[in-house]
Amino acid sequence: MSSSFRFLEDIAIADIAFEAEGGSAEELFRGATQALIETMADPLTVTNSWNRHITKTDEDLETLLFDWLSEMVYWKDVAGVVFHEAPLTLTLQQGKWTVSGKLEGAPVNSQLQELRNDVKGITKHLYRVGQEGSVWKARVVVDV
Amino acid sequence: MELNTGMQVNQISDAVWEIPATEKSGMLVPARIYATPNILQSMDQGVFDQVTNVACLPGIKRYALCMPDGHSGYGFPIGGVAAFDVHEGVISPGGVGYDVNCGMRLIRTDLTLTDVKPRLERLMSELFRRVPAGVGAGGSVKLARGEFETVMVHGARWCMERGYGWHRDLTRMEEGGCIGNADPSTVSDHAIGRGIGQLGTLGSGNHYLEVQVVSNDRIFDPQTAAVLGITGHDQIVIMVHCGSRGFGHQVASDYLTVFAKAMRRYGISVKDQQLACAPFRSTEGRDYFAAMNCAANTAFANRQVITHQVREAFSAVFGPSAEELGMELVYDVAHNIAKVERYPEGELLVHRKGATRAFGPGSIELTPEFRRTGQPVICGGSMETGSYLLVGTDRAVRETFGSTMHGSGRTMSRAQAKKLVRGEQLQQQMRARGILVKAVSMSGLAEEAGMAYKDISEVVETVETTGITRKIAELRPIGNIKG
Repeated sequence: MSSSFRFLEDIAIADIAFEAEGGSAEELFRGATQALIETMADPLTVTNSWNRHITKTDEDLETLLFDWLSEMVYWKDVAGVVFHEAPLTLTLQQGKWTVSGKLEGAPVNSQLQELRNDVKGITKHLYRVGQEGSVWKARVVVDV
Repeated sequence: MELNTGMQVNQISDAVWEIPATEKSGMLVPARIYATPNILQSMDQGVFDQVTNVACLPGIKRYALCMPDGHSGYGFPIGGVAAFDVHEGVISPGGVGYDVNCGMRLIRTDLTLTDVKPRLERLMSELFRRVPAGVGAGGSVKLARGEFETVMVHGARWCMERGYGWHRDLTRMEEGGCIGNADPSTVSDHAIGRGIGQLGTLGSGNHYLEVQVVSNDRIFDPQTAAVLGITGHDQIVIMVHCGSRGFGHQVASDYLTVFAKAMRRYGISVKDQQLACAPFRSTEGRDYFAAMNCAANTAFANRQVITHQVREAFSAVFGPSAEELGMELVYDVAHNIAKVERYPEGELLVHRKGATRAFGPGSIELTPEFRRTGQPVICGGSMETGSYLLVGTDRAVRETFGSTMHGSGRTMSRAQAKKLVRGEQLQQQMRARGILVKAVSMSGLAEEAGMAYKDISEVVETVETTGITRKIAELRPIGNIKG
């Protein structure tokens, strides 16, 4: 199973919520990452002129996903960029999860890119990461 | 009255409702909701769950309140007001909101619709060019870290020193545009990194800059309106809605993490992790208060820099200077903040999240010019309808910890709104109705369609009927800039 996501209509009236899933925790991270990328801009309109390698480690997968997504929001503000893609790997060693990825994108340009929402942050509101059978799922509400 | 809340809701007066403290385990005080029956019925279930969760927080006084524009938020409802004893109570980022000191600002002019209409297209283009909006937009003010820390401490006062305003502007801002107890050492490097380049930017979501008209028939108290600089005759005014941007959000996120750990140490449990809190007198509580005040001051400065850009744009389009155009500030109010205020119970830490301070005439906290009128309250509606200028009352001070509504409040999610209308289509429809919209994001524009919001007039009638605010004028949009 590959990763996927869908935006949720009814659980965040003023903000944006999505549910991501995947056949593995790594695929789940990919789905959630893609959902956040597409919340901010249409990635097909964003080129690859900027990149940043990010590595984060935590014992708790829920915390790690929250921190990873928050880091993307941080770089969006600090570098003034939106993203095209963010290839990543997720590994588990000695009880600790590590996500290692590369944020790829370009400086914001409203003439060239289809911009969407300026995400201010990832919230813990209704936040959930878990496994249902063989499917990993996450529900994320982002503040805009 | 039985709503589908599973809780008893008692009618206290025409537009005040109470959920008794017996309705949920752990409630320390009742919850009170200000709403007409129609508005109450339209509120989402989350409002009732959240306002009663707030009523369980340690040290809460009198009531957990929700204003008529309330809808569910993170932890606290939007429209929520809660006051805590400064000695025994808590402080909670969830009660302030992520966008610390998100607020409203109103600027008057001597221009009329007749003056502006022929040049509206050019004016909106000029405003759109000068006021950065939308995803990742950086401001024109470039700051070194040391100077950004000065902004955190001095707020809008810093702007005056740098030529981004007139000193008299400060007398027309809540707290004079500068809140004390702001300590940059309590702010993370992450927050500074996100905020340092955003001064003078609108952001996106429901934030906007709007050119509006005040007609004579929509002034409800001409005498008070005149004192506030609102003279009617199709007068042009400008409304700004924005806050502390990514900086405030990072401060809130940082301290939610700190408080989640601190709660275990202080033996505090909450019904929703977004209500994470700490005793106000604790080190963690004090640190958050100091960091939150840094974000609040940055928001005052943000709106002031935008005001400067608005004045420059008007001057560029119409010729005379901003002063010659009479572009005085009417007022600037915060609607996401926690402040120490004095009430009969003593000093209380009043959290307002999507709620506006509404002090009545005679309040010593107000500057002399507003002690006659009561504090101006600026409430933004949807970009398709209208907004209101109101004033606070003594009754608000007695009943709602000097608080009232902040806007119209959403009834429809962003995803639902986008299914019903496209941004380009909405832009054309609004143009046909005489409202010129400039937007960075067309999908963001669709999310803010008027149908996604409550009828602001009904919300305003609620606060007028209950006597916690008095309406002064309705402001009709003719131009809007969105991120």
